[in-house]
Amino acid sequence: MSAIDELSAEFAKLPGIGRKTALRLTYYLLKRPPEQGRRLAAALVTVADRVRTCEQCYNLTEDPVCSICRDGRREPSLICAVEEAADIGAIERAGEFRGVYHVLGGRLSPLDGVGPDDLTVSQLVARVAAGAVREVILATNPSLEGEATALYVQRQLAGYPLTVSRIARGIPVGGDLEYADGVTIAQALSARREMR
Amino acid sequence: MAYLHLLRSVRGARDADVVRFGEAGWHIRGEASFGGIVPAPAARVVALGFERGSRRKRVTVAGAIPRRLSDALGAVPSVTFAPVDAEMVRGGPAARRRYLDVTLATTSRRYLTALQAYRGGLLQRNTALRSLARGAGEAAAAAWEPLLAESGAVLWAERAAWVVRWGPELARISAAIGERGVVEMRHAMRYSAASDGVCDEAASPAELAGVLAAALEAGRAGDVRHGATRVGPHRDDLILTLGGRDMRTYGSAGQQRTAAIALRILEAGTLRLGTGAAPVLLFDDPFAELDEGRARAILDVLGGGGDTVGQVILAVPRAADIPLGLTRLERCAIADGVVRGEDGDS
Repeated sequence: MSAIDELSAEFAKLPGIGRKTALRLTYYLLKRPPEQGRRLAAALVTVADRVRTCEQCYNLTEDPVCSICRDGRREPSLICAVEEAADIGAIERAGEFRGVYHVLGGRLSPLDGVGPDDLTVSQLVARVAAGAVREVILATNPSLEGEATALYVQRQLAGYPLTVSRIARGIPVGGDLEYADGVTIAQALSARREMR
Repeated sequence: MAYLHLLRSVRGARDADVVRFGEAGWHIRGEASFGGIVPAPAARVVALGFERGSRRKRVTVAGAIPRRLSDALGAVPSVTFAPVDAEMVRGGPAARRRYLDVTLATTSRRYLTALQAYRGGLLQRNTALRSLARGAGEAAAAAWEPLLAESGAVLWAERAAWVVRWGPELARISAAIGERGVVEMRHAMRYSAASDGVCDEAASPAELAGVLAAALEAGRAGDVRHGATRVGPHRDDLILTLGGRDMRTYGSAGQQRTAAIALRILEAGTLRLGTGAAPVLLFDDPFAELDEGRARAILDVLGGGGDTVGQVILAVPRAADIPLGLTRLERCAIADGVVRGEDGDS
């Protein structure tokens, strides 16, 4: 296999990139100064060597424990469980949550070969069992697999004295009821809350 | 017309199979106006198209594309009776479950959402059961049981409530058509791998979810051997009886056909109540196997349906199949795919 084929084959393994785009990226890099290609290669090596999962929450970090878990101003008794580390970024950008996280590492889907043993649910249960956790917020995606994962985690935590909550689903802020889909409106209505 | 209600072929054909030979796709456009007491859209244009190349189906309602295809379900409500519907009464439970699912999913958003979740969850649990046989942990299948129990309980509760609500109506319509015995229906819940039970109509969804969760757990070991989930709403039945006897076994061909027509009229009543619009009734050759007295009684029921029944379109192979005394219906003839009025206008 030539060097060009090898690189485009690697690109084609990335999500959302097909054979044609992989070739286009390869030829683009070949047209750029060699320095750019070397910088990309170095960055990839650094990421592969340095980034690992946090020992406590399974977020991605360069240290044994991530910056969120180390932050003394955060509330360690409040855990938000998410599917992927990327979801933490979304919640952090909102700037509202002051607790810590737990990355489940995916969602249940036997069709994709993902069962409970492939997720970090038992590690979450261990964190809860160690005490001092008063609430776990389940922030998995509102998809079929996300719901099943949330229900499964809830059952696993059932025996512990803490609150298990699920993020709300409904009409997006700034949205228009007229254009919202029926399922979302039905769920927003059933999860309505009293105005005080 | 039925396509604009279910957004798919009423005969179960795939969208690609409906494309005319040599063509790139198909397109249907309908304009409907609704009368009715409950506020209903005064007039609605619905267009549905399918492209063979991209295998994409697109629907627009009043010019707008809904977020999900399912949002347009029942956009132009109609009920279809086809000759094969007698199979719904005489055949296996799958056809009767499909009848319940279509009737309830087109009128209850909660049912539709639960049905989609239940079917997806069932597929995942069955996949987990089969991988279990190859040595994966039992927890992989158990993990899907809370979701199945929650969504399945909604299906059970809504099916049971529907049977209670429409049971007397089935008896009334059947009697009006000329059935001498009492026609009744019963929702048989499959909550044990060995037997059926009757849903306690007073049971709350939470109680039903508990029943289903326990049944799934109890059946898990056997399910692993079978490679499939053997309890739950996907194994339910709607049992129809005539004078207390199962119509599937003891009903005559005419009685089974009459019961199927009565079920379609109930579907129209459910749609009328759920959507606020009286559905169009599309009846394909309903009088085959029926004596003239029954045919006339069916026409009287349809004609006297009041608000429940909207426009009725009957298709018969021979003009003589509709009693001559019935002059209310406008008659048209279809030849080579062209509809012509009696006076010859196309």
